[in-house]
Amino acid sequence: MTTIDNRGDVNPVPLPGPTTGEPTTTGVPVMTQRADRRRKPSAPQEDRGALSSADWRRPSVKYTWTTLHVVMAVILVLWGLGPIVLLAKFAITPTMDINADPLGWFPNGVAWSNVTAAWNDIQISKYFWNTVVVAAGSWLTQMVVATTGGYVLSVLRPRWAKIINGAVLATLFVPAVVLLVPLYLVILHPPIIGHSMINTYWAVWLPAGASAFNVVLVARFFDSLPREVFEAARVDGAGPFRLFWSIVLPMSKPILGVVSVFAVIASWKDFLWPLLVLRDPDKQPLSVRLPTLAASTDTGVLMAALAISTLIPIAMFLIFQRMFLRGAGLGGAVKG
Amino acid sequence: MRFNRTTALVMAGTMSLGLLAACSSNDDDAATPSGTGSPSGDASSPAADQPVTIEVAGLLPGAEKSAVDALNERITQFEAKYPNITVKSKEYQWLPTTFAADLAGGTLPTVFEVPATDTKTLIANGQLADVDAQVKALPYANDFNPLILKGGEGEDGKVYAVPAKSFYSVALHYNRKLFKDAGLDPNKPPTSWDEVRADAKTIKDKTGKAGYGMMAKDNAGGWQLVAAAYSRGGRVQTESGGTYTATLTDPQVKASLQFLSDLKKDGSLYPDAGLAWDTTNAAFAAGKFAMYTSGSDIYSALVQNNGVTKDNFDYGLTAIPSDSSNPQAGALTGGTYAGVRPDASDAEKDAAVKWIDFWYLAKLSDQDQAVADAKVLADAKPPQAVGTPVLPILSQAKYQESLTWIKDYINVPLDNMKGYTDVMFTQPLIPEAARATQDTYALLFPIVQAAITKDNPDFDSLLDKANKASQAKIDQSK
Amino acid sequence: MATDDVVLTKTPRPGSFRVHQRHRTRSPLSWVRGGGLSSLVFALPLLVTFAVFSWGPIVRAVVMSFQKTNLIVSEWVGWDNFQLVFSDPDLPVAIRNTIYFALLALVFGYPVPLVAAVLMSELRRGKGVFSALAYLPVVVPPVVAVLLWKFFYDPTESGVFNTILGWVGLGPYDWLNSSTMAMPSLVLEATWAAAGGTVIIYLAALTSVPPELYDAAEVDGASVWRKVWHVTMPQLRGILLITLILQIIGTAQVFLEPYLFTGGGPEKSTLTVLLLIYQYAFANSLGGNYGMATALSLLLAVFLAVMSLVYFRLTRSWSTS
Repeated sequence: MTTIDNRGDVNPVPLPGPTTGEPTTTGVPVMTQRADRRRKPSAPQEDRGALSSADWRRPSVKYTWTTLHVVMAVILVLWGLGPIVLLAKFAITPTMDINADPLGWFPNGVAWSNVTAAWNDIQISKYFWNTVVVAAGSWLTQMVVATTGGYVLSVLRPRWAKIINGAVLATLFVPAVVLLVPLYLVILHPPIIGHSMINTYWAVWLPAGASAFNVVLVARFFDSLPREVFEAARVDGAGPFRLFWSIVLPMSKPILGVVSVFAVIASWKDFLWPLLVLRDPDKQPLSVRLPTLAASTDTGVLMAALAISTLIPIAMFLIFQRMFLRGAGLGGAVKG
Repeated sequence: MRFNRTTALVMAGTMSLGLLAACSSNDDDAATPSGTGSPSGDASSPAADQPVTIEVAGLLPGAEKSAVDALNERITQFEAKYPNITVKSKEYQWLPTTFAADLAGGTLPTVFEVPATDTKTLIANGQLADVDAQVKALPYANDFNPLILKGGEGEDGKVYAVPAKSFYSVALHYNRKLFKDAGLDPNKPPTSWDEVRADAKTIKDKTGKAGYGMMAKDNAGGWQLVAAAYSRGGRVQTESGGTYTATLTDPQVKASLQFLSDLKKDGSLYPDAGLAWDTTNAAFAAGKFAMYTSGSDIYSALVQNNGVTKDNFDYGLTAIPSDSSNPQAGALTGGTYAGVRPDASDAEKDAAVKWIDFWYLAKLSDQDQAVADAKVLADAKPPQAVGTPVLPILSQAKYQESLTWIKDYINVPLDNMKGYTDVMFTQPLIPEAARATQDTYALLFPIVQAAITKDNPDFDSLLDKANKASQAKIDQSK
Repeated sequence: MATDDVVLTKTPRPGSFRVHQRHRTRSPLSWVRGGGLSSLVFALPLLVTFAVFSWGPIVRAVVMSFQKTNLIVSEWVGWDNFQLVFSDPDLPVAIRNTIYFALLALVFGYPVPLVAAVLMSELRRGKGVFSALAYLPVVVPPVVAVLLWKFFYDPTESGVFNTILGWVGLGPYDWLNSSTMAMPSLVLEATWAAAGGTVIIYLAALTSVPPELYDAAEVDGASVWRKVWHVTMPQLRGILLITLILQIIGTAQVFLEPYLFTGGGPEKSTLTVLLLIYQYAFANSLGGNYGMATALSLLLAVFLAVMSLVYFRLTRSWSTS
């Protein structure tokens, strides 16, 4: 479900309301802290759902819910792991067997050659690197625009901030798809630069920055930072740049983390826009390249290529699991 | 080809006019002071030695490494021959769904390929460079098959697109191993659609593999449906006095769809309505079905992209089944032209046509070039296809002569292609519709999908609707 | 924002952040000294990116929808593009398919994550493992997921799903190869790819249900199910409504699945509005109809803007109540 920005995502990400995420002294929204605390077994009393400990002691409740949980566990394993395990199996299965007997247990042995072919012939590593470059650049522009913009709108508040704020908010109501064609034409004939940005990463990076969602998210967070701290800094003679760099940004780590997760995931998923503007195969990210190759690639090699492309994000997920899940939940959690 | 005296005369006239134009433009160049720009079409002028870099359409995405090596080898040879020209090849596949973006985005290489159906519109839109002078200067300029050359000429009679490769007639490709496994004689491929149906059924019953596959995704599906209709004597468009009429309701179009429905009922049709040109090749190469129709030169693509070799795949090629009782029946023909970006400088145009000559054409007319090209392909590991039958861009005699030059390198299973090669010069050839061709294909492919996926589609009403829409597109196009 | 002026420093001095609100006439110098320049510097990235890549293109889209253009010459054609869009027989098909996709996505993707989240929130241990499992498909690159599932959906007997269903005597099914099954197949994959994210959001929301409410319900002697129904659910109402609207906004713009799985087929059964816009603009090899493409995007935009307004109203009322 990809559009040219993260608003078209089926994975819903509610905006925090203006008064939410009440910052504590560390600036971490209340909900995140709660979520963290729930992990600790030492706080059982605060950590309760609909079922109380007394409920759990009743056999009827205990057996019903245990059964439910076991059923859910089985379904979750099939749902979450099944397809991925199959992919891993296909990656090392000879094409003939994949086609004839996809679920058989290696009737004709293992084909490691799939993996080497995917790595060498399809050059998965190159497209993976391109994906990283696209994501990193998009992240950077989004961060720069969202933090500086949020700072102006929320902290500096010049007279014209209200107009800008309105203009930014208004774009939230315009779906990304409207921009598809005119934005494409801007990339073809950009102002000032003069020559087409097609086939350059700027064509993906720069438009990514114009995300009203990020600006609003960051500005709302800045709104909730304690004004007294700014005043104190001002009295100490801190200029606007120092205030931004040394006070506001360090206090905003949680929201910057959230924006980062959104930015990277959105860029990772994006398909249509890079398909249009990155026509040069040497520059394409995995999402654009894999479908082109799918038709002409041997099934076994393709499966190995798909598996390799999945391996790294899964590894990253397992390592930074907490951050991912918190990031994904935070959109909802700060809302409460 | 359908060819009558009037068109021949018109053609001859156009050609001589074109030649005159070429001469005069050369004269103009000669009169131009050499400092103002590089004269075109004159290889001996000093300006032609200025360093120039061109990007050229290379292989299909996902080509086998050996095909890439062979192309690079030819580029090295080209650059040795013309030290001032640097050639960068760029992976290239003409797809209706991406070509427009490349065209609008200016990301086409200097030399790119377009199908015969699109050349006229691109020329009219000013999207191809005038390469008339450069092409007319080629030693074999007068040897082009005039009908094919005309497809690349503009209203002004100048050459904008050069007939380059893959001039095909649609033929039937079959997997000889599946024929053998099913107890059929692979040397006696079907010659009528009824036989195709019977063989497909036998193959399904005996081997469990589908007997027949059909392209159905995007315009390719419409293209193959029209080819099937042609082979039964049908047409999808008629012309009279400059007025074009859509005839999608031709009973032979319906018969071609009905044929697919019948195969579906037999259970012998490959159940995939999402096959595009390339995925059909892939599925065939993977042995998923036994027969399909596509351009006669598809074997080269099977080798280049799907890893088919003489040893690992028993390939057979025969003419598309044709209703011999119907004088209108014939094989659909088309081809690929090479064009040059309209914003190319004169030096780039010179270099571009030199590349077109070197990569696509010289091997058809020059023994040394033919051998050099064949040698590179045959020496690649694994070897790339040499000798795949194509329709002659130059004369038939020249084509047959060129085959004798490279006979030591020919590595395609010619014995298994006799069903096609025996009739390739005698079967009636019918070009694609002249107006709104791709639009018409786009209207037809959903009906092909209906034939593949539905049990009893109402072809009459579907075709009736498509016919009206096709007529509207034709009317818009002029 | 009203408290703003109170916080304002009374006397602007060098390095102050903003101009005193009462200044009516200013010289450029006082503007710079008042911090106007630094505000502008900070606003620059936002102003430039939005002007070039957002505001400008939006205006251009409106203009283009009244033009016929081949990118070199543009001609004013009034409402022609809109008329062409409305007379296109593909439009009702695409709208119907998009609504169908949205409805199916709700049926598949709405209750299941909710039930999973409620069940998971009652787990006393292993919650981390479970949420990781649920979230795992979300990390799989979407294109990889589509290509993999396309293979699973192989309509022959040796297809993955058909093999599995064959074990229990079902099938073989046509999946993507049937105009009735293609869309549900697309939605199934989309749900697989996205449901994990929804589960996590619900889980996070569930942790915020105040325990006192459960305690109070227990005092009243409420059963387990009554607690779930009368305490948990009402607390989730807000987030449920919000995810609903966001899901509608998201599914109205679905593109990747129909484009990669079926290209809109068979027989246009998976042609969605966004795919139609793409086809108007880019599918004709001889040059796109950008006017029709922008006209249809604007129509879609109006619909989505209404949905977004509703969404904003909700988030606002929710956060202030």
